[in-house]
Amino acid sequence: MSKKPIRFRDVARSGDEPLASLDTQDLIKLDPLDEQPPLGTPRTRWLETYDFSLDGFSDFDLPKPKTPAERDRLVQAFLSGLEKLFDPQNNWTFLKALKLSMDYCLRCQTCSEACHVYLASGKQEIYRPTFRSEVLRRIYQRHCTLPGKWLGSLVGADIDLNFETVWRLLEMSYRCNVCRRCTMVCPVGIDNALIAREIRKLFSQELGIAPPELLRKGTRKHLEAGSSTGMTPAGFKNTLEFIEEIIEEKTGRKINVPVDKKGADILLIHNAGEFLSWPEGPAAFSILFDAAGIDYTLSSDLLGYDAVNYGVWFDDVELGRVALRHVKIAQELGVNKIVVGECGHAHKAICVTADRVLPGEYSLPEIPRESCLPLLRDIVKSGAIQLDPSRNDFPVTLHDSCNVVRLMGIVRPQREIIQAICAQPLREMTPHGVWNYCCGGGGGFAIMDTLNFSDWRNNVSARMKVKQILDAFQDVLGPDTDKYVVAACSNCKGAIRDAIAHYGLKEKFGIWYGGLTDLIVNAMTDLPQPYIEWDPFM
Amino acid sequence: MLFQWFTIVSGWASVFLFVALAAYKIYKFATMPLNLRWEVYPVPHETQDRRRYGGSYMEQTDWAKESRPSSFAAELMEMGSEIFFMKRVREHNPYHLWPFSLALHWGIYLLLLWIGLLAATILIPALTSLTVAVGVAAFALGAGGAVGLIVKRATDEEMALYTAPVDYFNLVFLAAIFGLGLGSWLTDPLFSQHQAYVGGLLSFRPTPVSPVVVAMFLLLQVFAIYMPFSKLFHYIVKHFTFRETLWDDEFNVKGSSQDERIARQLSYTVSWAGPHIAPGKTWLEDVQVTSAGEEEK
Repeated sequence: MSKKPIRFRDVARSGDEPLASLDTQDLIKLDPLDEQPPLGTPRTRWLETYDFSLDGFSDFDLPKPKTPAERDRLVQAFLSGLEKLFDPQNNWTFLKALKLSMDYCLRCQTCSEACHVYLASGKQEIYRPTFRSEVLRRIYQRHCTLPGKWLGSLVGADIDLNFETVWRLLEMSYRCNVCRRCTMVCPVGIDNALIAREIRKLFSQELGIAPPELLRKGTRKHLEAGSSTGMTPAGFKNTLEFIEEIIEEKTGRKINVPVDKKGADILLIHNAGEFLSWPEGPAAFSILFDAAGIDYTLSSDLLGYDAVNYGVWFDDVELGRVALRHVKIAQELGVNKIVVGECGHAHKAICVTADRVLPGEYSLPEIPRESCLPLLRDIVKSGAIQLDPSRNDFPVTLHDSCNVVRLMGIVRPQREIIQAICAQPLREMTPHGVWNYCCGGGGGFAIMDTLNFSDWRNNVSARMKVKQILDAFQDVLGPDTDKYVVAACSNCKGAIRDAIAHYGLKEKFGIWYGGLTDLIVNAMTDLPQPYIEWDPFM
Repeated sequence: MLFQWFTIVSGWASVFLFVALAAYKIYKFATMPLNLRWEVYPVPHETQDRRRYGGSYMEQTDWAKESRPSSFAAELMEMGSEIFFMKRVREHNPYHLWPFSLALHWGIYLLLLWIGLLAATILIPALTSLTVAVGVAAFALGAGGAVGLIVKRATDEEMALYTAPVDYFNLVFLAAIFGLGLGSWLTDPLFSQHQAYVGGLLSFRPTPVSPVVVAMFLLLQVFAIYMPFSKLFHYIVKHFTFRETLWDDEFNVKGSSQDERIARQLSYTVSWAGPHIAPGKTWLEDVQVTSAGEEEK
């Protein structure tokens, strides 16, 4: 093992040397792979400009401050944000959960091995769920509490606050997928994943610092252009024509996808990334809804065609802004409810988390917001569509989106669907359901690819999921047997797609992935050809 | 005699201070703003079937129109399994803290029961044997658990990293109380002096007792005053972390008391300084801003 003991005071250490150095030998083994892909290192030209002092990885393309005054300004802004984080007016949204988590963690470490990142990394100390929380706690105690100010290190308030501490804390907050598996096992109900999110929030809401894919190219672009993909309403309408062509090409059916249909029963909102990366997903919804006679519409209004809400990962104000716009669009269309397509974080944002940042006139009973999964289950079970499980006669495993299972309790509908439409029994991952492991792309990681961050994601945060997938198919790993990983979530699909490519799982083991709706449509008896393409881009 | 009166006054003062301080802390927790929904499944008040696998009402369509299950008894059962058996620590703690933690917690529960039995034995002498058994068990378990946790935290490098001096202080404090209890039992196997002290406390008649018994009770009284300010108050905090956050799946309904609370919180002023935040607006005004904050400033 190459790990060196780390002390909390080391977080303030000056210099560019990373606090922790990862080594491929330390990572959990993926037995079926003969060779472990090497860990990336920062390009030499980046080292001059950007900060890699946490673990040699970063998604932040912000140049390092050059002068002591610049560094001090960042520290002062951090302190100002820290005060607001514990202020009831500025952070009423999560003050209770945050404050109790900060003050009452018993440091028993019961949560440690619930974390897939900590385990997959070979138990690197800096990835332990309590490590970043403890850093924040010690700073908070020293600067914001009387016992910390008076007693200092006796109560643990012993970390120097300097630029290095602040920057490493920022980086640490983006080494947690916010999957909240650690929260499930805490005997006191402490939420270390929330603390990671609160650190992100402090940086975003006070300093405007966040991964570029989440803020600058994320919520900002979403609110201004209509989609974080940059897709405009006109671009969306063009994309729909493309979707209709896909439908005709694959099924021989001419379907006009309904758009802006006033008074429809359902407003269906997809993650707009689906239109670009997996257009067969939204197309499958349209085929299925058309065949089942569902009265639905898509929206071409600004934001109405992109269900994502990145605010749920890092910024409460942006969370509220996006959610409010989504709900208003549904109200203007006069639909009975919003149904969210296969996108886990969008599920949680609009159905759960944003519920209390909206006034009563937009509350859930006024404008219901639901997951697509119960509706898909009802369609499959209704008998309205003829489905033949023998069309899905290949090994299937199910990746549970954390947002859908653990954070919303939607566990059974997707399993009932797979049971009804597949010839072979579902190969459950171990563990699964609410105890699942994150795909490694949660909390925004799936879309973060600035500098060398995607190296870290593929090698560390997605590693446990790769192990689970390989384990689920361990008796049929031959590359000649097509195997399907169901991922009913766009970000999970993105993370799994990248992991499949990174580890060569398609060529070596015949492992492919896709949405649940695609699998349902693949089982429709009256389609002329299989809907799923096993090798579309290879 | 003066010191004996002091021990009577300190006994009652510690009870009143504990109640007052605990009530103050609970009031502070209860008046914190309503948290956004942030539940984690399984949620114990769900139906028995869903509770088993972690399902929720959101597994149905049109759930906003349906009545939702709510089982307070199931919440108590879940909380009880944690309080009395420390289920999560047993199943998930990788440092094998469970036996020591369980012993310490049961030491505290039995200590409280023992104090009650000391008072009851004054009226019902037949309870003496039970009182002795409970007292000895409380002190042995509490001392063993506290010492075991100190050793674990001090000798395991990873645990030691996260253990601040105040954590050791808390455990040493508890170990001292239980240790004094054990020591006092060795000098008074039937706890008759302890009973005399409690009897004197209840009747306001100071009674001379041995120094070790006085020391144990005085330490216990200091602990009662200190506890609401320490992490040891976590047993109360669980109500707010579990029932009011992790199990809170109550969606907002227009015109409800929750809606009024949300409306009040949405009227709070946002003063975050990020470039995309519109300054000086309320939360409700700010979420209506869809363009960048710079344009609003």
